[in-house]
Order: sequence, then C-alpha cells, then structure tokens
Amino acid sequence: MMKNREIPKGLRDLLPDEVKIKRNIESQAAGLFMRYGYEEVITPAFEYLEVIEAGAGSNIRQELFMFMDREGGILSLRPEMTVSIARLAATHLQDEPLPLRLYYMGNVFRHVQPQKAQYREFWQAGIELLGAQGPIADAEVITIAARTLAAIGLLDFKISLNHIGIFNSILNDSNMNPQDQTRVRQLVERKDLVALSQVLDSLPVNERLKETIASLPVLHGGLEIIDKIPYLEESPKASEAVSELLKIYEALNTFGVIEHIVLDMGVLRGLDYYTGIVFEGYSPDLGYGLLGGGRYDNLLGQFGFPCPATGFALGLERTALVLKDTVDGPTRYLVGGTRLEAMVEKCDELRTAGFIVELDTKMSGRDELQKLCARKANTTLIYID
Amino acid sequence: MQANYLTIALSKGTLLKPTIGLLEQVGLPAEGLTPESRQMVFSYEQPCIKYIMCRPTDVPTYVEQGAADLGIVGKDVIVEQRKDIFELVDLRYGYCRFVVAGPAHLQNIALKELNYKRIATKFPVTAEQFFRSHGLQVEIITLHGNIELAPIMGLSDVIVDIVSTGRTLKENNLVEIIKIMDSTTRLICNQVSYRTKYDSIQPLVEKIQKHVKGGSKA
Repeated sequence: MMKNREIPKGLRDLLPDEVKIKRNIESQAAGLFMRYGYEEVITPAFEYLEVIEAGAGSNIRQELFMFMDREGGILSLRPEMTVSIARLAATHLQDEPLPLRLYYMGNVFRHVQPQKAQYREFWQAGIELLGAQGPIADAEVITIAARTLAAIGLLDFKISLNHIGIFNSILNDSNMNPQDQTRVRQLVERKDLVALSQVLDSLPVNERLKETIASLPVLHGGLEIIDKIPYLEESPKASEAVSELLKIYEALNTFGVIEHIVLDMGVLRGLDYYTGIVFEGYSPDLGYGLLGGGRYDNLLGQFGFPCPATGFALGLERTALVLKDTVDGPTRYLVGGTRLEAMVEKCDELRTAGFIVELDTKMSGRDELQKLCARKANTTLIYID
Repeated sequence: MQANYLTIALSKGTLLKPTIGLLEQVGLPAEGLTPESRQMVFSYEQPCIKYIMCRPTDVPTYVEQGAADLGIVGKDVIVEQRKDIFELVDLRYGYCRFVVAGPAHLQNIALKELNYKRIATKFPVTAEQFFRSHGLQVEIITLHGNIELAPIMGLSDVIVDIVSTGRTLKENNLVEIIKIMDSTTRLICNQVSYRTKYDSIQPLVEKIQKHVKGGSKA
C-alpha cells in the first residue's frame, strides 16, 4: 500500500466549509479581544524543551512532540500558548507600561489519543492580561471568556470557577508528603471519588481535613457552597483564597456575566503554573470543556520577569463542534459566455460591488455551466453571449 | 446528551441484574428492564431518565464522549480503557480481581522472575502498566478470549486475567500467582454533564452513596 495519501494520526485537513466556521469563530473572538484593548502576538510553533518545561512543569513531557535541532538542542512543538507568551513578554516587553493586554490565535500540539474533540494538532484563541493583580483583572478575563462564547453564538454555557488556593492550603495543612499530595490532587481533579476515599483512609491525616478534601470535588453551585467547606475557618490561607474568590464573583456580577458563572471546588486545571483563580467553560452540547484559564503569578518570574498574570484559552475545534449551523456564504456568481471581454468586464463590476465571482476559464456552453451551478452552493450563473 | 434527560449507560451481561436491583432500590424507574430484553434504549418520563444497553467495554466510551451522562461499569473495564471520566461511587457488587496466573509449578515464582516473560491477556493496558510499574519488561500477547488456553498451548508463560471465584483457572490447571488489583462496579460520569446537570446528578449520586453505605449489597 502506498503511504502517500496518509496523514499522521490525530491530524486533520480542514475543508472549505470547516474553515469558514473556524475563521468565523476566530474573527468574532479577535474582534472582541481587540475591543477590550488586547493586541495580537505570534510566537514560534516550536520552542526549546527547557522553555516549555520551565513554564508548564515536567509532567507535560509525556504529551509533547519533541525533536532535535542540528546543534543537539531538544525542541518541542508548543503544547499550549501561555508559556510562549510569558517567554515573549519577558524577553521583549519588560519595559512596556503595565498592564499588558495580549491575545493570540495559534495551533498547538499534544501527543494524546485522538478521538472526537481531541486532536493532536488543535487551535486555540486566547488572551493574557500581564501585570495586573486583583479581582477586577481576573473578572475582566472571565468576562471576556463568557462574552466570547456568547459572541460566537453559544446561548447555553457555564463557566465553573474555583480558587486553587483553597485546595492547596488545605492540602498543605494536611502534612502529607509531596507524592501523596500529587496523588490526592490528581484524584480530586479527575473526580475519582472512589480512589480518593481509599487513599484518604490510608493516610494519617486529621479527620476534619479528610472530610474537607473528600467534599471539595462535589461542591458545585452558587455562593451557598462556601458555607459547606467544613475546615475553612481553621485555615487562614484557605479563607483568604475564598475571600478573593468572592470578590471576583462580585466583580463578575458588576460586569454582567454572573448568569453563566457557577462555583466548583473540583476545578483544579492540569497545568502546574496556576496560582489563584481557575476556571473552565462548558456547553451542555459537548462532553468536553471548551475553554480554560486562570491566574498564574509565578510563571513570568520563571523567565526573569516577575509579574502577576491571568488569562484563558478557547479550543476552536471544540467550539466549532457545538455550533451546529454552518456559516452561509454570501451569494456567489459564476460568469461564463462566449465574449471574454464582456465577461471580464462583468466580473470586475460585480467584484467591485463586493460579490464573490468566479470566471469560467474553459468558455463552456450554457447547459454545462447550469449543471455546474446546480452542484455549487448559493451560486448564480451569468451567461454572456 | 439530551438537555433534560439523564442518560445512563448500563453494562449488559452479569452486571445487569444487580444493576437493575440497585436502580429499583434507589427509586429509579426500571419497568420492563430485564436482562432478557433485546431492546437497546429504555426511556421514562417521570423522572426523565433514559437507559442505554451497552457492552461493558463500551460504557466508558459512551460516557467520556457525552453520549451518556452516567454509566455503570466494572472498575476492571475502567482501568483498561483509561477514559477521561469521573468515577463517583463504588457500588460494591460485581467483585472480581486482576491476577497473574500460570501453571501450578510457577505458584511460588517471585514477581521479578517474570521479567521478559510472555503474558497473554485480554487486558494489555492493565498488564503492561502493572509490570512496568515494577520496573519489569514483558511481552504482552493480546487475545480476545479463552486466555487460559495460551499457557497450555505454550503461547505464553503466564496470563493476566480477571477472576471472580477462580473456578475457570482451576478447571484449566492454572493457579493464581499474584493479585494485581480488586475490582467492583462503579458509577461513572461525563465531566461536563456533572457540571451542566449537577442539579439532577448530585442528588442521585448522594442517594446511591447512601444506599451503598447502608451495607445492603445489591
């Protein structure tokens, strides 16, 4: 068998109808980001492995596509954009007045098991708000996330909000060793409640803490869930995180997107760099998350530019899956005939008026062109003889 | 996923009977739901619940992709499939265990002596993961049934399989060498459904949890 028509596993070609939907999402998102003052940057499709690992932690290595340059450096296709943006800002933008508002559209690469809504190359659109601390900055980013989904045409979506400081400080107070902490974190993140309760039972941890850790993954709802965190009043750090979360919640009310917001103590996000608020966006029409983000105050410091930051990324393929309607193209014309000069003139006239016009370069007969038109969407024939 | 329906993927086969028992005991509709039925979808209006009948190995797939909100399936299937799903409740029935088994003369073999041996199994992911995590390399031979035949015919040295009573092993003159892990039936959930249908899923989860903790093994 010839391999010359195969493409690598998990990659895809996008055909005109799919590209139309994708470009439409991109232009809605970009337009919105720009109206909030964000400016686009572009970073290379691959980076040194050191850069990616310094930013995203070494856990990400198993999902990377890695290769070597001819000088022996290890390179990796970017698995996400935030680390690259942090590196870019630390290299080029340290002297700019803060805060910096940046946005990007780019393809990222992960070595995952391909399936519906999960490809090895996929596209992300996102923003990063650099050099801005505090709940209003986080609320702006979350608001833009919600407004983006709305602008793209999603009606029914939810954004789940959490503060990673709540879980982290409760975990710290437990005096578990680092391996057990990592394990418990993964189980909470995956909501493997069965294994979580088995692991907690086996650890010498104070009962109230165990109860608290076991309850976090299922706490989901409005402000009332805060009162259901048993251990809260005993941990000043966790309480501090909760009060930050509440301030952001309040700000989201002011920004007018609160109807889409729920609190969810089980949202932790997989990446190591988050330090504060974390959030994920979902549509009931897709079994996978659409967007994710949060605050990462230590990431830019990894690149010598200590600076608070917050942002999110939207998965374009997944969003496209939720949008059932195809984008209807504008009316198109096919101009054919026997007199080239008149045909060219007609084409130019229509194009100047803003229409999409194809010229029949084969000078085919009317019948043939009528048949052709019938097979193309939205196309009207103009025959000049 | 359908907006107001809760779709639950049920495992056909041995788990179905105790599963129907569980559904009845926690007050979910189960009328007409029998192991003998060949119907694949059961819909109820009060409450809005839909069951889909799946091969056990397909349940995690339906749930991960959101074709079902919830699923009832063995832990053995979950570990082998490695899908991105939430595992909410240990339902405690359908007990079995993953074991390494082999001919009687290997009964007391040490784990490390299985290095570079040939392992026949229906569960290549679990088998590979187990040996790797002990720093061992083995050759995995994936078969689809009658695993016990492999060591008898010299296709493999030992097998990795699930065992509940151990009768099949005994009938084929094989012995359990090492237990890899225990497995029982679990309630699993799609990660988005859990959030978008929290108000109908969480009360159900709590009801089932309470029922299971009540000690009555369905």
